Amino acid sequence: MTKSFFHLLSAAIAMAALLGTGCGPSNNSASGDGATQTAGGSGKKLMIALMPKSKGNAYFVSCKQGAERAAKELGVDLVFDGPTNPDPAKQNEIIENWITLGVDAIAAACENRDGISTALRKAQAKGIKVITYDSDAQPDARSFFVNQATPEGIGYTLMDEAGRLVGPSGEFAIITASLTAANMNEWQKHIEARRKEKFPNLKMVALRPCDDLKDKAQAEATTLLGAYPNLNLIMAICSPAVPGSAEAVKQAGKAGKVKVIGLGLPSENRRYVKDGVTDSVILWKTEDLGYLAVHAAKGLADGTLKPGAKSYQAGALGQFEIVGDHLLLGKPFIFNKDNIDQFNF
Amino acid sequence: MMNPALRRILVRHETLLVVVLILEVLFFATQGRNFLTPDNLTNIIRHSVEIGLLALVMMPIILTGGIDLSVGSLLGLCAVTFGKLWRDAGWGWEWAALGTVVVGFVAGGGNALLITALRLPPLIVTLGTYSLFRGLAEALTRGVDAFTGFPEGFLFLGTGQWLGLPAQAWLFGLVAVGIGLWVHNTTFGRSFRAIGFAPEGARYAGVPVERRLALAYVLAGVVAALASITYTARFGTAKADAGTGYELAAITAVVLGGTSIFGGVGSVGGTLLGVAAIAVLTNGLSRLPATMSSASELSGVFTGVLLLLALGAGILPKAIAALRDRRSSAQTPAQPVP
Amino acid sequence: MKRHFHELSVAGTLVLLLLVLAVLAPGFFEPQPLLSRLATAAPRLVVACGVALVILTRQIDISIGSLFGVCSVAAGLVATGPTGIPGALATSMLVGAVGGAVNGTLVAGLGLPSIVVTLATMVTLREGLRLWRQGVFINLPDAMQWFGLPMMRGQAVVCLIAVGVLVALALMTRHLAAGRYLYAVGSDAEAARLAGLRPRLTTFLVFVGMGALVGAAAVMNLVQSPQVDPSTGRGLELEAIAAAVVGGVAVSGGRGSLWGVFAGFLLLSCINPALTYLGVKPYWDKASQGAIILLAVVADGWRRRRGGT
Repeated sequence: MTKSFFHLLSAAIAMAALLGTGCGPSNNSASGDGATQTAGGSGKKLMIALMPKSKGNAYFVSCKQGAERAAKELGVDLVFDGPTNPDPAKQNEIIENWITLGVDAIAAACENRDGISTALRKAQAKGIKVITYDSDAQPDARSFFVNQATPEGIGYTLMDEAGRLVGPSGEFAIITASLTAANMNEWQKHIEARRKEKFPNLKMVALRPCDDLKDKAQAEATTLLGAYPNLNLIMAICSPAVPGSAEAVKQAGKAGKVKVIGLGLPSENRRYVKDGVTDSVILWKTEDLGYLAVHAAKGLADGTLKPGAKSYQAGALGQFEIVGDHLLLGKPFIFNKDNIDQFNF
Repeated sequence: MMNPALRRILVRHETLLVVVLILEVLFFATQGRNFLTPDNLTNIIRHSVEIGLLALVMMPIILTGGIDLSVGSLLGLCAVTFGKLWRDAGWGWEWAALGTVVVGFVAGGGNALLITALRLPPLIVTLGTYSLFRGLAEALTRGVDAFTGFPEGFLFLGTGQWLGLPAQAWLFGLVAVGIGLWVHNTTFGRSFRAIGFAPEGARYAGVPVERRLALAYVLAGVVAALASITYTARFGTAKADAGTGYELAAITAVVLGGTSIFGGVGSVGGTLLGVAAIAVLTNGLSRLPATMSSASELSGVFTGVLLLLALGAGILPKAIAALRDRRSSAQTPAQPVP
Repeated sequence: MKRHFHELSVAGTLVLLLLVLAVLAPGFFEPQPLLSRLATAAPRLVVACGVALVILTRQIDISIGSLFGVCSVAAGLVATGPTGIPGALATSMLVGAVGGAVNGTLVAGLGLPSIVVTLATMVTLREGLRLWRQGVFINLPDAMQWFGLPMMRGQAVVCLIAVGVLVALALMTRHLAAGRYLYAVGSDAEAARLAGLRPRLTTFLVFVGMGALVGAAAVMNLVQSPQVDPSTGRGLELEAIAAAVVGGVAVSGGRGSLWGVFAGFLLLSCINPALTYLGVKPYWDKASQGAIILLAVVADGWRRRRGGT
């Protein structure tokens, strides 16, 4: 046994040596590659990498469609990869892999603000242009943030909508994806701040996680409706939770009595909005977000977008205002019965 | 102790893995973009240290016929503990790290106690602590709290280079050599194998089965704590969700490395090769033009397939023999199923 | 009494929890939300029963969560077609049975360890489904919901199916020869073979049955809402396995009863809602879950230790 162990050890060392010698030549050619790419610019196709918070999430799939449209129009290669579950450490690993892959620009939606900034700074140090979209990193870790809505904006909009629907006093509950989801915790902070300031008599009675699953959200909402008979509103802050909560409210026969609002896609919520179960769904044009993120990343890589710019011309979408280092997509929409049919994502 | 035929199978499995690994490297080096660069090799190593550490301690446990599902959750609990000790209790990071290792020791000891003193199946005990440890990590931080802003000296452990290799690679190497020697060159290691083969037999042969088992689970706790430290240093942030799903990744690597899930058979070298094969695959898929945009899903799919192929290759000769056996013994027409 | 100590201790813990709720949060027992909650839990009970059979034969299946997702998507896609509910159910059970047959072939036919085989099929199915569907919801026709029945009746039907499966399997394992085979194979496959049973075939069929049950459970879950979330079923394997082992099914095979699984399942699925009703902060969820699992198994271990077995 001992013998075979050292056998293997020596085999492993031999492998390492093989890898080591293998590095030499290909390393040179690789860095040569990189040099021609950054210097030549127009000669070679640019490669833009777009990272969602997690894959297989309808929200980011919609972003990706816009991103693909932009990539086609601009003639750049688009790489779209991210963790399969919202895993912040995995985001860092993928970004580090993109750095060594030699992409020209990265556009990332950040799961964990501080964690991902380490990797993004490293990318910037290697000359890769970095922007963030959807949710920001630390300001020094990227050039621009494509701002569809600040956490403050989201939190305030949700709370104001709740206040408008329920009135000055009442009870509401929040359904979130997981207790550790960084961006949702950030929104909750602002929801709470707004509540304290403007609706002190609206009480948040419970917070429940649904693991980003619609069925679990439905079960949690059913339990909440039973446990808090005076509940006036459910606020669902992850996208599967909005239809899940709406279905629970509908089945409990409390449609109209218990309001449902949340952040989600129109396509997943259309039937509930039309039935009057869900009152409003808040979102922005996700396709435009993906489009703008890729367009701006490309602009940054080829120099059409420079730090300090006051506006940016993004192809078919037209002109966007830049405030500080935030590229503004526009205000979030509130989808309701009247306008939801105009949107098909 | 080990019969020569079995040994041949063992060696063959690892040879197979070396071949797989070489093929992977050759394939990605020629087809992938910027695969064989020093920076990328550094990436591969850095990204596999935590799962590698967990796999290294999972291996002796599986060798005894046990399993530990709680290591990923324990990594999360330890990361949070480290953050708490450093930021809230104001300890220096070195002391906080030491405190974290103590927590890992205690948690591993808890598993060990339940498994050996009460003779409960490891699968059930660690299924319970899998929830418990993650739950404690969430309760300690209410899920919300994240620890960040660690000092440079500490971050070096996860992001720095030392003598040409990533800093954490040295720790990993040390643990690997330590566990390799321990499992393969001491009576301890041999007793693990014996326990995996036949626990009662080992007991009659005078092996203190309970104490040896306890040691394996305590060691898993300690190394999970070490992994939480390299994780935090690499990532720069500690939060209650650290290490989610790492237990399955570690088990996958160990089994791919040829350790029998029933216990008794396996080697540390194989485990290392298993870790490497998965790490290279995951990294490589992110540099093929065709798979760049589905690398995360495909690495899952291919790992699953690779696992089945490796298993299949391992038992193929045996299975064919068994099939032939059955065919010759089942000459009578098949009976209807009751 | 002594033989069923474990089942009774789990049932006792459950009764205790229910008593606490009756005093502190009587709203827990209001019929309507209770029926809805039971209907939500019913498909999971079916899966837990299936996995209990697998564990009885000394195997394990951790691919059921992923398979549940695949079955749900398959059923959802078929349900939008002309065949309606019967077609969806048949498809779902067929897909499940095929998935189970793949596991079963690898485990029983090739003699590979089930935990590793199903670990591999778990990641392959899950990531494959993600690649294929990209997480997009499937809208179901309205007629699909509650099998076309009024809601309360639909909920009752779902619950009755689950109880029916439970009772049928419980009686089968207790009284039919086929059921006793499972115990025989799980206790000692070689002895079972020598006694004239066919352990490999039994194991294979158990996996196929497991898959079919997952498929049926997927449809039972599907009818409760008008959309299919392709991520559904994530984490279901641990939930089901925990219910089985807390309910006293020995992972070493050949020991345990479906009544115990029922008690374990009810206990575990009561914890989360109970915490909501009692107003406990959500960050204690997982810790409570883990503590109760440990408590149940420790009590059993302690008793056996003192009993001197």
